[in-house]
Amino acid sequence: MLKVLFAVLTGLFGAALLHLVIILSLPYFSERDAYTRVLAEGSRHIFHRLPDARDRAGLVQDDPLMEASVCAYDISEGPVRIFAQGNVPFWSMAIFDAASNEVFSINDRTAAAGILDVVLATPVQLTVLRKTLPEAISQSILVETQQADGYVVLRTMVPQPSFAPAAGTFLSEAVCAPFEWRRRQQF
Amino acid sequence: MPFVFRVPLLVAIALAIAFGGGIWSTLWALEATTGFGAIRLGAWEAFPDAQTAKADPYAKSHRASAGALLYGSAEGLSFTAGVDETGAPLRAACSYRIIGHTPPARLWTLYTLQGGRAYRPQTGVLPVALNSRSILRHGDGAFEIAVAADAQPGNWLAIPQDGRFRLRLTLLDTPAAGSSGLIDLSMPAIQNLGCGNA
Repeated sequence: MLKVLFAVLTGLFGAALLHLVIILSLPYFSERDAYTRVLAEGSRHIFHRLPDARDRAGLVQDDPLMEASVCAYDISEGPVRIFAQGNVPFWSMAIFDAASNEVFSINDRTAAAGILDVVLATPVQLTVLRKTLPEAISQSILVETQQADGYVVLRTMVPQPSFAPAAGTFLSEAVCAPFEWRRRQQF
Repeated sequence: MPFVFRVPLLVAIALAIAFGGGIWSTLWALEATTGFGAIRLGAWEAFPDAQTAKADPYAKSHRASAGALLYGSAEGLSFTAGVDETGAPLRAACSYRIIGHTPPARLWTLYTLQGGRAYRPQTGVLPVALNSRSILRHGDGAFEIAVAADAQPGNWLAIPQDGRFRLRLTLLDTPAAGSSGLIDLSMPAIQNLGCGNA
C-alpha cells in the first residue's frame, strides 16, 4: 500500500515537472504564435490587411470598430521604414519582436504632426545612419532593436461606417519596406 | 497478483499520473488564465504587461499558443468581463446595464465575444459594437448602456440570442496601460436587470 502511495507521489511530482517544462518551453516551439501567423499571411515588408473572420493564417481583427494590418520585417540586411498618413480619427502602431515582445508603440497623438514615420534598425545600422542621416529620414523616429526579425501591427479606428473608406486608404497606403540607407561606393 | 507485475504496475501508475496530470494541468492553465499580473476593476480584467518582455511565463506561454495580436502600451488596453457585478456569468438570456465612467482614455470601443470570437451577425444592422463617439451621455459624462438581445431605448448593445458571452472594452490611448496601480481607475459597473422574458 505504501508503495502505491509512493508511486502516486512520484507521479504527481513528475506531473508538476512536466507542467513547468511545457509552460517554459512552449513559447520556443509553438507554431500557433503571432509571428508564425503573420509570416503565413504572405511576403515580408508588405502590410497585409486582416479580415473580420479568422483567415487561413489564423489571424483576425476582432473589434468591429477597428481595422488592422500586419507586416513582418527582417532588418538583418538593412533598416526598415514604416510610414503612413491619412485623415483617420485614430491610429496606433506597435512593433513586436519574433517572440511577440513589444519593442515600440506609438499613436497619432504621440507622433509628430500625426504622421507615422518610424525607422527600425539594429544598433550597428543606427550608428551608420546617425553618422550621415539621409535627408529622406531626417524627420523619422529612429527605433533600435536587438532582434532582426519580428512584425508590425498598424491599427486604425472606424467609429462610424462613413470612416471606413478613409481607414481603408490609410491602411492600404501604409509602407513597411527597406530603403536606400547608405550611399554606394563608401569604401 | 503475481509478484512480477507489482513493480511494472507501480511504474505505470507513476507515469500515467505524471503525463496525464502534467498535460491536463498545462492545457487547463493555458485555457483558464492569461497569466498573472491582471488588473481587476469590478468585473473587468486586463493584462497591461501581457505583450511585454516582462510578462510572466504563463502569460508568455498563453500568448504563444493563442497567437493573438495584442495592444502595445501606447495603443490601448483591453478589458474583458465574463461576469456581472455579483460574480454571476453573463448570459444572453438576461439583460444588463453598463453604467458609470471609464478610466481616462481618448477613445474606447465596446463589443461582445462569444466562444472566443467577436459577435458579428451576418445582417450587419444590429449595434453589436459601441464606441465613445457614438453613445449618448449624461451631463457629467457618465453613460448608461443597455445590453440585451432585444432592442432597447437609449444606448443599446446587441448581444447573441443564447449562450454565455463576454464583454470587451478597449481603451485606446490611455494612461491606464502604463499604470502601476497608482492611478485611481474606475470601470463602469455591469448590473443584471433580470433574466428570461420577465
